[in-house]
Amino acid sequence: MLFPGRQTAFEQAVGRYFGDLYRYAYWLCRNRWQAEDVVQESLTRAWRAWPGLREERAIKSWLFTIVHREHLRSASSAPRARADENVPEPAFDPDPARTMELEAALRELPEDSQNALLLQVLGGFSCAEIAGMLGASEGAVMTRLTRARQALRRRLGPAENEPGVRQA
Amino acid sequence: MNCLDLRRAAMLDPRRLDTEALAHVERCDACRDFLAQALELEAQIEHALRTPVPHGLEARVVRNALESPRFTRRHALAAGLALATAAGVALLWKRNDPLALAGIDFVVFEEAQAIADAKPADVKVLARVVREMGVSLPAQLGEIRYVGTCPFDGLTAHHVLVKTPLGKVTLLLIPSRPLASRAVASAHGFEAAVVPAAVGSVAIIASTPRSIARAETLLKSG
Repeated sequence: MLFPGRQTAFEQAVGRYFGDLYRYAYWLCRNRWQAEDVVQESLTRAWRAWPGLREERAIKSWLFTIVHREHLRSASSAPRARADENVPEPAFDPDPARTMELEAALRELPEDSQNALLLQVLGGFSCAEIAGMLGASEGAVMTRLTRARQALRRRLGPAENEPGVRQA
Repeated sequence: MNCLDLRRAAMLDPRRLDTEALAHVERCDACRDFLAQALELEAQIEHALRTPVPHGLEARVVRNALESPRFTRRHALAAGLALATAAGVALLWKRNDPLALAGIDFVVFEEAQAIADAKPADVKVLARVVREMGVSLPAQLGEIRYVGTCPFDGLTAHHVLVKTPLGKVTLLLIPSRPLASRAVASAHGFEAAVVPAAVGSVAIIASTPRSIARAETLLKSG
């Protein structure tokens, strides 16, 4: 091992974000096997580029951006696999029917809206950060996020019982 | 801040409301209910997105990544020389046209990045370019999945990604690149044909000659 410190730092960084990187890839690919391939290729690229990384603060967004680009690359070079019909279930689900309905609604979101929502919810990124990662304007990201939540709310939310709006 | 402002902010990110929004919620019962519903939905979204990670995946992925060959400058130089030699031999052997081959290289090495980096393109501009070049993009060609511009072979190309019944086809419309005759190449598992248009030329890159032929016929059908 030539650079044990470097390898440890890489392992620690990956350990911090691995779960969310995998989930991000999973929802982009909508297929477990493709997601595993995307994450594998992304982290292989990340390790190769690791010595050149200058800003430690940017590691998280850098890793998510690599996963996004790797997904685009794999999607453009290989036919999209069928979406998993049976999504792996979380360990405990108080309302499985609701979760299934929500998963279906999430899958039906337009890709750009879904991507922005994934980065916000899974990655915890701000609109400005998401804009930088996706090469879009901040306004466009805000629109995508709003549309995503509107669509989910329309399908799942309490539309019948919408609280009143006061223009004060 | 009024109720509409609050609801816009809550639809953008209900968990990151500023102090002004939170103060409004304190004063407005309806918005308090709205925010409570939004936060409940948000928790459900987060729960649904938290797909379990397969057991042992992290260790396997990290181990594979760390064991993958690292490219030093020397390796890169050696690989570059080997690639150049192989490409040279392949060019001589198969007589690949350089422009068509550049089209394949674009798809293999640059297309994904070009799509990732691109700004939203104006479809009207594409329609004008297509008209001026004297080609056509009929609906039978397939579903247009992406439109953008990109640098290609020192020029600007209009980059179109089409999902056809025979697979993905990449079109590079190059108005400023006139061509005397059709040129072809085959490499990296892709086929490419560059065809002359009334103005400029069009590179068609796909995975099979059949897919190229279909796209070429439809492009000339206008």
